[in-house]
Amino acid sequence: MTNSFKTLIFLSLLIVTACDTDDETESLSGENRLTLEFDNSFSGDDLLLETSSYTNANGETLSIARFNYIVSNFMLIDENGEEFRYPKDESYFIISEENGLTEVILENIPAGNYIALRFGLGVDQEKYQQGAEGQGDFLEIAEENEMMWSWQAGYKFLNFEGSFTSESNSEQTDFKIHTGSHGSSLDNYKEVQVNFPSDAVVSADLSPLVHFEVDASSILTGTHKIKLSEKAVIMVDEEKSPKIAENALEMFSVHHIHNGTGGHH
Amino acid sequence: MNDLLNIKIISIIALLWVIPIKAKEIKKDSIHAFDSLNYWEECDICGCSGNGGSMGYGTLLNNDFLGLRYITQQYRSLDGIYNNSPWIDENFNTIQAWAQFKLSEKVSLNAIIPYHFHNRDFENGETQTISGLGDISLLAFYKIISPKMEGWLPEQNPIFKHSLSLGGGLKAPTGVYNRENNQGSVNPGFQVGTGSWDFILASDYSVTYKTWGAGAMANYTIKNENKASYQFGNQLNYGITIFKNINTNSMLGFTPSLGISGEVFEENKSYGQVVQDTKGNILFGKLGLETAYNRFSLGLNLMLPISQNLNSGNVEAVHRLGVHLNYNLF
Repeated sequence: MTNSFKTLIFLSLLIVTACDTDDETESLSGENRLTLEFDNSFSGDDLLLETSSYTNANGETLSIARFNYIVSNFMLIDENGEEFRYPKDESYFIISEENGLTEVILENIPAGNYIALRFGLGVDQEKYQQGAEGQGDFLEIAEENEMMWSWQAGYKFLNFEGSFTSESNSEQTDFKIHTGSHGSSLDNYKEVQVNFPSDAVVSADLSPLVHFEVDASSILTGTHKIKLSEKAVIMVDEEKSPKIAENALEMFSVHHIHNGTGGHH
Repeated sequence: MNDLLNIKIISIIALLWVIPIKAKEIKKDSIHAFDSLNYWEECDICGCSGNGGSMGYGTLLNNDFLGLRYITQQYRSLDGIYNNSPWIDENFNTIQAWAQFKLSEKVSLNAIIPYHFHNRDFENGETQTISGLGDISLLAFYKIISPKMEGWLPEQNPIFKHSLSLGGGLKAPTGVYNRENNQGSVNPGFQVGTGSWDFILASDYSVTYKTWGAGAMANYTIKNENKASYQFGNQLNYGITIFKNINTNSMLGFTPSLGISGEVFEENKSYGQVVQDTKGNILFGKLGLETAYNRFSLGLNLMLPISQNLNSGNVEAVHRLGVHLNYNLF
């Protein structure tokens, strides 16, 4: 036998060993955590407080000082359309750019291939009706993050502040946008469903991260055009705050999913 | 689906090897400057951990050789998901030992053993370095069309020659794959190995007329899922080169070349799920100069991007430069 043949046999063996490692798709089991990263941005740029300015579609140039909001009532939807509702009492979180709160960790999620997430922006009436006692720690956390008017007036669902200039306002003018449900008289709690660009796979070993791109420009220039030059402080406004609440749902999209064992950026 | 594909590839490779091999030794007495033109440039976006190259695996009128090659590649990569996220510089360096041995007049073997040392500088001043043995590749080529043999007399030398080779092979996971380097949104190719057994299909065509020549190559690499459940996307490389052989005397020859080459990448997968922004394509223009002196040949290759859309524009190739020194065995 020549050396050439020996080489060939060796190579053939390599191929044979290479292809017997075919893996089967195992069924997923167990439970794990799922992390939601709310990465705040403005029209494709990273949102930086105070230091950057952003021009919106209304021709206004904004410097943003505060961008806080409440996310709640998470429900995961898997590839079969099955829904998993996260325990309601543990389902209220604050995202705050200034305080570095950008992550929500959902614990004990059952194994599955999840394709979408439904959640609310703000606090629903059912929760609010439980009274101050029923809010648990969340009341205090909301106060610390400037997300309460007062107990009677209720939670601020969105707290978006800064200053702006426009054609009619050449001087830096402060703006404040605080939306909420204003007690129970005006219900601005709304839910949104976001689809994932690839499955988020949860199992005993796998703990995915859902990386949201949250575009703050939608607040003023989403479906409804809200001009700061018309009104720069919007708090209890029966006309504009429901529109802002609708616009704000458009902020959320999922940029990508990190599937893995939990390490991420 | 992958299994089916793999089976097909294995059958093709197996078929190639079943073809009887004549152990006929033919001695070549001259150095062909053309020989080294369609070298397999083992280099790509995947930090050279991938395989497959833009210049072809095969060779024309090939001699057996042993050689060393240094390749440096520069990239810019977006560290983040936003327009105003920082760009970081990445340098991919590779030293490879490579060899080609003819088993018969029709069948030859190629082997490449790479060593990589890559670095990238983050905006916060941190530098990340990875280095180590890369993925070793072995390929077998079968010559479907062989150039006509030259006779002893000058009028017996055909003016027009062409050659077509088909081949296949394996890339072994000898380079360490580190999943950590695939986190974040930076270039996922910052690795010294794919961590997987990958299959390579290659084809190479060359034609020469007097002192002019042209080569066309295409190769396709099927990448499998590695142990860390990451799978790099399959990759197509193609290229066309024209060259001219200038012999100053019987010992010394120069061969300048000009060409284009392209790479097309499919999406990567992680735990069976598509990883966003990992597919892409790039087209390079390439310039080369090869000199042959006695049994040695020294080559220089420069590749500059003509158009590219890698990782949704989040990775940009700046340039590639390769230098090699080969020793022809026969």
